[in-house]
Amino acid sequence: MRLVVIGNSAAALAAVEAFRQIDKDSSMTMISKERGPAYSRVLLPYVLRHKVKPENIFIRDVSFYRSLNIDLHCEEEVVEVNVEKAFVGTRSGRRFPYDRLLVATGSDPVRPLVEGMEGEGVFSLWTRDDLEGLLPLFEKKGSVLVVGSGFVSLQAAWSALASGLSVTLAVRSQRLMRRVISEEAGCLLRDKILQAGVDLRLGVSIERIERLEGGRLRVFLKGTDPFEVDFVIVAIGVCPNTAFLEGTGIQIDEGILVDHRMKTSVEGIYAAGDVAQGPTAFGEERAVHAIWPTAEEQGRVAGTNLAGVELAYSGSLNMNVTQMFSVTVASMGIFEEREGIESHSLSTEAGFIRVLYRGDVPVGGVVVGSSEDVALLGHLRPFIRKHRPCPQDLSELRKFFAMDLVGTIRREHLALPRGRLSIPKEGSR
Amino acid sequence: MKIITINPDICVGCGNCEYACANEQKGNFDIKNSWIRVNFYPADRVCIPWNCAQCEDAWCMRVCPAGAISRDPKTGAVLIDEGLCAGCKMCMLACPYGSIHFDLEAAVSRKCDLCGGDPQCVRACLSGALQFVEVDRAYEFRRRQFDNVLRAMPGIAKQDGEER
Ligand SMILES: Cc1cc2nc3c(=O)[nH]c(=O)nc-3n(C[C@H](O)[C@H](O)[C@H](O)COP(=O)(O)OP(=O)(O)OC[C@H]3O[C@@H](n4cnc5c(N)ncnc54)[C@H](O)[C@@H]3O)c2cc1C
Ligand code: SF4
Repeated sequence: MRLVVIGNSAAALAAVEAFRQIDKDSSMTMISKERGPAYSRVLLPYVLRHKVKPENIFIRDVSFYRSLNIDLHCEEEVVEVNVEKAFVGTRSGRRFPYDRLLVATGSDPVRPLVEGMEGEGVFSLWTRDDLEGLLPLFEKKGSVLVVGSGFVSLQAAWSALASGLSVTLAVRSQRLMRRVISEEAGCLLRDKILQAGVDLRLGVSIERIERLEGGRLRVFLKGTDPFEVDFVIVAIGVCPNTAFLEGTGIQIDEGILVDHRMKTSVEGIYAAGDVAQGPTAFGEERAVHAIWPTAEEQGRVAGTNLAGVELAYSGSLNMNVTQMFSVTVASMGIFEEREGIESHSLSTEAGFIRVLYRGDVPVGGVVVGSSEDVALLGHLRPFIRKHRPCPQDLSELRKFFAMDLVGTIRREHLALPRGRLSIPKEGSR
Repeated sequence: MKIITINPDICVGCGNCEYACANEQKGNFDIKNSWIRVNFYPADRVCIPWNCAQCEDAWCMRVCPAGAISRDPKTGAVLIDEGLCAGCKMCMLACPYGSIHFDLEAAVSRKCDLCGGDPQCVRACLSGALQFVEVDRAYEFRRRQFDNVLRAMPGIAKQDGEER
């Protein structure tokens, strides 16, 4: 059997690892449009603010591909999938025949369609190339305009601020990270961003960028006077990489639609990661949960099924955590009240904890505050996943989880009696 | 390979394990630097020591977007490489048991590393609630214990043909 995997990141790597554990013989080919061995996108902002060394973004080295007997093709962009003849075609004209195919191509950032958006001085924060373009500019400590209200744009703004740049943040809506955290958490974060010294402009959109002599940019935001910056980072959203699937008949909605085994609507073709729209932990409509852990889980499920062993995914559970502008913000599952969902909250020293319930079963939570509170959301995760009830008085929650650990101790830690371990004889107690 | 076993029924809540851990890991007795924690609720007469179980299928290890978590082939401990850790806290969200802690000074996540094979918490435990034993032995013990409980059940005993 010939397995072809398009992509070389979280989802693709988890898939090939799971596949090889089961199937030692089939041939495996990985195709990526980017350079070199796999790296982690998540780390890019950490490199910009000198928390992670540039050489440490790599999460696999060349020996990894060798040891799993993977034929890796980098800098090959897939431009077509031919379902009848079962091959994948790249921009350079190469063809890769497959018996089974995994699409793990993630998504690429999009930019607003305004004058001057493409070209020198305007960056995304998505790839190694972006990082390499941005690093020298961060060294110069000039000024930057960051556009967008999401996770990536705030990470970019925080990295720039932490590196000593002067930062303007332009956001079209009134709300920050609306897809990731609740409104109240967003407000708290907004205050922290202002306190930190970011020139935050809410409810503005970008109209035009003009290039000046010497490389500086003049930016025009709707309703304000134009101003000059050294460079611009745009992160307003992403689009799944599915263009090459046109004509294959694969069903695509917000992402490639997949079932519990990561199968697409076309036999023999699977999808996983940011590019896939799959089942969620709540059994609702399928969703794109564009996060690293989901990519890893889906990749593993896909790889296992591709190797012929049936494994059903219990559905993705969104979870996000970040520490920026001196506050930790985390969320999991459903983080905002809606019909049939109530919430309970608890103020803490550094912020608050809010847990959302359907009846007495937790469905999600938000934490603003300290790191140890993040661990509380971790405790909550198996309860959300398995629909197990837990107390609604949040001050009782820690004790409740501690008591619940006793069962785990008996299972995982094997509570043993005091003294030298003497194994009981058959029949005695 | 050895594991730390925990028996909450024996624990007296002295907190020696926490001090020993903080001392080993950070060279002081501040228990926020201890990766083992005793959940102590005296009013309910509850004290439950808890430490990383070094899960066989460790989710923290798989979700880490920095590839910073790996297994020590020698001790079986799940280790965080502080040189690689970005401090993103994803592992804290992933751990269902709260076994991963954040080191604010170094801005990295930390957890039990079994002290490289000689866990100090176990050495300091004065009640015997914590023990460091060979996995095989611990499992054999549990298997026997479980087996004997089953045998004591009337229905099962009859199937064995024993009179009770
Ligand atoms: C700055 C930043 C910070 C982030 N922070 C976090 C975080 O803190 N927590 C979190 O959970 N998530 C975070 N994410 C999201 C996380 O990176 C993604 O969810 C994850 O990378 C998805 O993995 P994937 O394998 O599905 O796709 P990707 O990582 O996007 O990989 C796609 C792969 O496909 C290849 N490819 C794409 N198109 C083609 C083509 N046509 N031909 C050939 N190859 C192709 C690419 O080269 C790449 O190898 C962050 C993302 C960014 C950009
Ligand atoms: S905090 Fe460190 S060890 Fe934990 S997931 Fe993030 S990078 Fe990995």
